Amino acid sequence: MFRPFEWQDLIPLAQGAWLTIQLCAVSGILGVIFGLILGIARTSPSRIARWISTIYISCVRGIPVLVIIFFVFFGIPLLFPGLEPDKFASAVIALTCFAAAYVAEIVRGSIEAVAKGQSEAADALGLNYWRKLTYVILPQAVKIMVPPGIGFLIGLVKDSSLVTVTGLLELTHAGNIVTNLTGDPIKTFLVVAGMYFVICYGISRLGRLYEKRTGVHVDPLKLPEPAGI
Amino acid sequence: MALYFGDLLPYSSLLLEGLWTALYITLVAMLAGSALGVLVYLGKVGPGKPLSILCTCYIEAIRNTPLLVQLYLIYFALPALGINLEPVWAAVIGLTLNNAAYTAEIYRAGFESVPHGLREAGKALGMKPGQIVRYIILLPATRNVFPALTNQLILLFLASSIGSIISLPELTNAIMSVSNTTYRTIEVLAVGGLLYLGVSALMSLASKRAETTLFRWAVGTHV
Repeated sequence: MFRPFEWQDLIPLAQGAWLTIQLCAVSGILGVIFGLILGIARTSPSRIARWISTIYISCVRGIPVLVIIFFVFFGIPLLFPGLEPDKFASAVIALTCFAAAYVAEIVRGSIEAVAKGQSEAADALGLNYWRKLTYVILPQAVKIMVPPGIGFLIGLVKDSSLVTVTGLLELTHAGNIVTNLTGDPIKTFLVVAGMYFVICYGISRLGRLYEKRTGVHVDPLKLPEPAGI
Repeated sequence: MALYFGDLLPYSSLLLEGLWTALYITLVAMLAGSALGVLVYLGKVGPGKPLSILCTCYIEAIRNTPLLVQLYLIYFALPALGINLEPVWAAVIGLTLNNAAYTAEIYRAGFESVPHGLREAGKALGMKPGQIVRYIILLPATRNVFPALTNQLILLFLASSIGSIISLPELTNAIMSVSNTTYRTIEVLAVGGLLYLGVSALMSLASKRAETTLFRWAVGTHV
């Protein structure tokens, strides 16, 4: 009934891995854009902006990614009849919603980690809020954001495995299908785990390289924990 | 589309039972995992070279692969070796092994954050080795590690939802089965999401409270 796990079974797994990388790249970039906006709003002088972003961030951080994925996948066609995003689009929307909240916390932490004297000096020079932010605070904060951002990206890759529940053919789902064909879950999922390891470990090496090059090192206990288990 | 929550009332006990399962799996995995994490951390920093390499490999392997794949390996691959596990046991073992790797790294960061000079200062003050370990290494390290550990508890609680994929009857599983019987998908996801949100908010509030009462001695100091 089953055939043994052979080398050609690596092809669907590699295709799945490629889809996982695409998924994480798109939702990572969108997540960083929305996360920057949310994180700046979270530290802005406007009370309304602070409230809205705080509510969004705490709601998303308090709900499992899996529930967010179900909400987007089943909820969008019900809430907006006629709008039926395909599997990839729903996965991107769900992971972006989730990523934005976690990136926003990293942005907030990094903005707050910039020495207070910098902000006071900008005030003393008479810079307005936006100039202070774009010329003084953000250029310094961006450097601090990178190491926890790398940690978050690894979390995103791992959490993207949950999209398997929507039936999108990413790496984990490809693993399921190959298991059903070969009846060999041990080899299949060890290969799947190995592929995730290569992606995640590669990203973390890049992060180490950045820390070495720039000398920026952030105490892992002082910043919001990256998401993803 | 009109929202109607009345259809969910007969299923409220199912949802609460799911929440209870999620909570207790989280607590068991947190306790067992943070104890195992101490061993993994000690093995990593200990003098035995092969053990240290083994512990490092364990930590890196767990931290760089998704929990879902780890659960699949436990739930689908172990039966191929003749070990059949109930979903509850698979989830508890998976979350415990996963949590151990993360807590080991938290301990490492916590102990490394205590500067060496403090130990030397303790020695210079004439403290006994036991006193140095207790007051100068363990107490500040515990204080440094505490927020990260409680954060890990919340992450673990949220991660327990992944158990639903291996048919563990916890909250997310209950949400999806109520959604399939009542077709009130949006409503049940909203209620379930609020349950998760409420519990994780309570956990974070409780941990802040605990932090201020447990470590009152450390207010204003930073080690």
